[in-house]
Amino acid sequence: MRADVFRLIAGITLALWLVLPLVPLAIWSFAHGWRFPDILPRDWSLKAWAYAFSPTSGVVGSLGLTLFIAAATTVLAALVGVPAGRALGLHAFRGKAIVTLVLLAPAIVPGIAVALGLHGVFLRLGLTGTVSGVILAHLIPVIPYMTLIMASVFSSFDTTYEDQARSLGARPHQVFIHVTLPAILPGLMIGALFAFLVSWSQYLLTLSIGGGRVQTLPLTLFTFASSGRNDVTGAIAMIYILPGLLVLLLTARHLTGRNAALTPRVAP
Amino acid sequence: MLRSLAAFLLLSTAAVADTADGEALKGLTWDQVVEQARGGTVNWFMWGGADNINQYVSDHIGGILKRDHGITLNRIGVADAVEVVNIVLSEKEAGVTDAGTVDLIWINGENFRSMKQADLAFCGYTDLLPNNLLVNWDNPAISNDFGVPVDGCEVPWNTVQFAFAHDSAVLPEPPRSMADLLDWIKANPGQFTYPAPPDFTGSVFVRHVFYHAAGGADALLGPFDQARFDDAAAKTWAILNEIEPFLWREGQTYPNTIVQMNELFANGEVAFTFNYDPAQFGLAVQAGIYPESTRSFGLTDGTIGNTNYTLIPFNSPNKAAAMVVQNLLLSGEAQLEKAKPEVWGASPAIEISRTAADVQAGFAAIEGHASVVSAEELAKAALPELQADWLTAIEAGWKANVGN
Amino acid sequence: MTLTKRTRIILLLAPALVLLGGLFFSALGLGLLRSLRYMPSIGLSEPDLAAYIAVLSSPGFLASLGLSLWIAGASTLISVMIALGAALLLRQTFPGRQFIAFLFQLNLTIPHIVGAIGILYLFSQSGAFARLAFAGGLIGRPGDFPALVHDPFAIGIILQYVWKEVPFIGLILLANMQAIGEDHESTARSLGATRWQAFVHVLLPMLMPGLVAASALVFAFAFGAYEIPLILGASAPEALPVLAYRSYTDVDLAARPEAMAMAMIIALLGGAMVLVYARFTRPAGRGRNAR
Repeated sequence: MRADVFRLIAGITLALWLVLPLVPLAIWSFAHGWRFPDILPRDWSLKAWAYAFSPTSGVVGSLGLTLFIAAATTVLAALVGVPAGRALGLHAFRGKAIVTLVLLAPAIVPGIAVALGLHGVFLRLGLTGTVSGVILAHLIPVIPYMTLIMASVFSSFDTTYEDQARSLGARPHQVFIHVTLPAILPGLMIGALFAFLVSWSQYLLTLSIGGGRVQTLPLTLFTFASSGRNDVTGAIAMIYILPGLLVLLLTARHLTGRNAALTPRVAP
Repeated sequence: MLRSLAAFLLLSTAAVADTADGEALKGLTWDQVVEQARGGTVNWFMWGGADNINQYVSDHIGGILKRDHGITLNRIGVADAVEVVNIVLSEKEAGVTDAGTVDLIWINGENFRSMKQADLAFCGYTDLLPNNLLVNWDNPAISNDFGVPVDGCEVPWNTVQFAFAHDSAVLPEPPRSMADLLDWIKANPGQFTYPAPPDFTGSVFVRHVFYHAAGGADALLGPFDQARFDDAAAKTWAILNEIEPFLWREGQTYPNTIVQMNELFANGEVAFTFNYDPAQFGLAVQAGIYPESTRSFGLTDGTIGNTNYTLIPFNSPNKAAAMVVQNLLLSGEAQLEKAKPEVWGASPAIEISRTAADVQAGFAAIEGHASVVSAEELAKAALPELQADWLTAIEAGWKANVGN
Repeated sequence: MTLTKRTRIILLLAPALVLLGGLFFSALGLGLLRSLRYMPSIGLSEPDLAAYIAVLSSPGFLASLGLSLWIAGASTLISVMIALGAALLLRQTFPGRQFIAFLFQLNLTIPHIVGAIGILYLFSQSGAFARLAFAGGLIGRPGDFPALVHDPFAIGIILQYVWKEVPFIGLILLANMQAIGEDHESTARSLGATRWQAFVHVLLPMLMPGLVAASALVFAFAFGAYEIPLILGASAPEALPVLAYRSYTDVDLAARPEAMAMAMIIALLGGAMVLVYARFTRPAGRGRNAR
């Protein structure tokens, strides 16, 4: 009984701690001024939201742009990550350990270490300040996640179904669409979710490569946070966490249960 | 692979009208410039943290540009103008001379000096702008940006003068001179601080103390002088170290930015904030950030004023359109609109007496925001800004002697 | 057969390797050349170590390096401990378990910058907790509340990482625990081990590889992140990534090789974490978690 009470209290504390930082952001977004020592704002207002959705603020355009960049990054990462994941997951070959390290490093080495040199490379290619440049930059941390998750998916993939389909006369693209894709789809969704989120959260790579021209939501958010407009900051922060929440709910089916591909099977 | 992919992705970002060749533009008449500008896009990089200013620029100015000139104004909000200087600098280093990303910058002070020193500014065209006639270039506070001659490399936009703000409900009678303020700080421990230089606003507060220690600004004008600097600096650090134990958090730390200090003021942690642009006080009251009882004031021994400008980088591909924007910003109507307290409350950079009669009447009819001390009131005791070399020395000296 | 298979593998891997090679390794390569002050376009054709010497002998850099190591070390350690507790808790059944599991996943989707601003509004001296303390009569004015953000010990930064990384590590551990099952512990218990002994001597060693690998990811991230110390850090010393980026964007171009040298030092530490991670995870064919 005491253990139950302890668990419940620990659980509530944990839940509170997870939600807590979002609370002042949500309140600020509806506040017209909120000064010490008021626990709640004295005056409430929708003007921060009105401003966030006005054409002037550019938040809606920024949201669209951020979504586009994250989606494009995800699709490109899937196009190169699925084949590479297949090679790593299904086959043993010489140099595999090195290839894995090469594919892993960009996800772990901090973005700041890459951003400065990448800026120099992209300046010469004329890619700084362009959306394409930012997408390419986002691919650096995103491809590793996609590839390694797909490698995990393919490691438990049974190729005999493909062989059967092929022996029944299916063409390669038919095999892929009707056999391979349905089998790897749940894992691909997880990979896509992480790819999307990694791109969605990027600040430094977008700032350095986009040079301000590519105004994604985190940049807009930072501009207001660093100018003391806590109300507008709160509204943009709420808008910023919404798509991630939606994507999570959409993929929740694949995330729960046995945590399918999310499970990092690092132990035997 | 990378290059072909890049080329493919770049297809979507082709430029429209290219007016990168500034020398060619200088040979044209204004009407020809306006014609060349039609259909262009201006990427204007500016500090983006005030919604009123953003609205004025995007909606009011952007609307007129679209309607009258077919120009698209693309306002790009940045947290600090130094970021933009760095973009142009990197482009020059990489040999991008006619396809830069920046067409217009809101700028002044050390950032202007950096751009001018590195030859990053498009210069010598300002006489072409018809509204340039409204600018009083004989005023040294306009023709010099923090002591650096403007030389036709930028166009004035606003004039500002430093002021303090206080909450009149808490502190009805604030100290009105630097000497009184220093006494007040010692008598009221924990209720004053200033942002650590090189924060723009913290740095200008330290310069006020520097002027006070030097017995006035007169001895400090002109090029940097080590002997005069050493004399005034020693006294300045002594004063600032003397008040340090009486500052917020016993002076063990300073706010990083003016925004952090504004938060302290808004929450009643400190009794004063200050700003180079007093209109910001009115905007903060309108946004509910500061109490309605906020009032602002200058010092009897004077406060420092300056001018801020817009500048076209040397590698802007849309120079004609950017010039049209600058000309519009200088117009009496546009300067009047932004002087309205509900719009922004910014003081004009043009001579009101040179504008049309209805614009003059408009300026006369403006009733300032109650929280914003009027420009006329501040102008009674105005101090000039030092040359940029002095600023650098003062900021470095502060770090070594006070903020360590 | 083997030849075609090998060709096939190469073709499958090529796009990813070429893209990452072209982007990641060319960026690191250019950074390395510049940190060695090798820039033939402006007449520097003799590489040297001047930037590294300048950086490594500067007290400012050493203070920043120390701060970033402290931030990364403390954040990782605290996150791991709480995550262990949370995973052990979530392994049990109790009311609301599903909800907390959902919050864990939700937290993964929230960008760090949002968390940082939230922490700022919670823990500043006039923030939500300070107001509650005032209402409770614990403090008389904001200055009485302890300085938890923009503070010399980087408490605010560490709090943000703990907030974000506890669910990350927790989910990895939870998945590992599910894979391990409870049989080993039950066996130990039946042989007379206490709950604590079963945990320390049986479960923990089995969790260790996953824990170390996750710690390497968290450590590298907390060491190298830019926007969180920018929002929550004190004016001096700055976290290393903030110092590096500010040096890079300094209007004095002479500071750039030093910025690149700092970037290379960060990359070196990141590379070490890659090796730690790889050492404690099975090579390819096994999945990895993402943040």
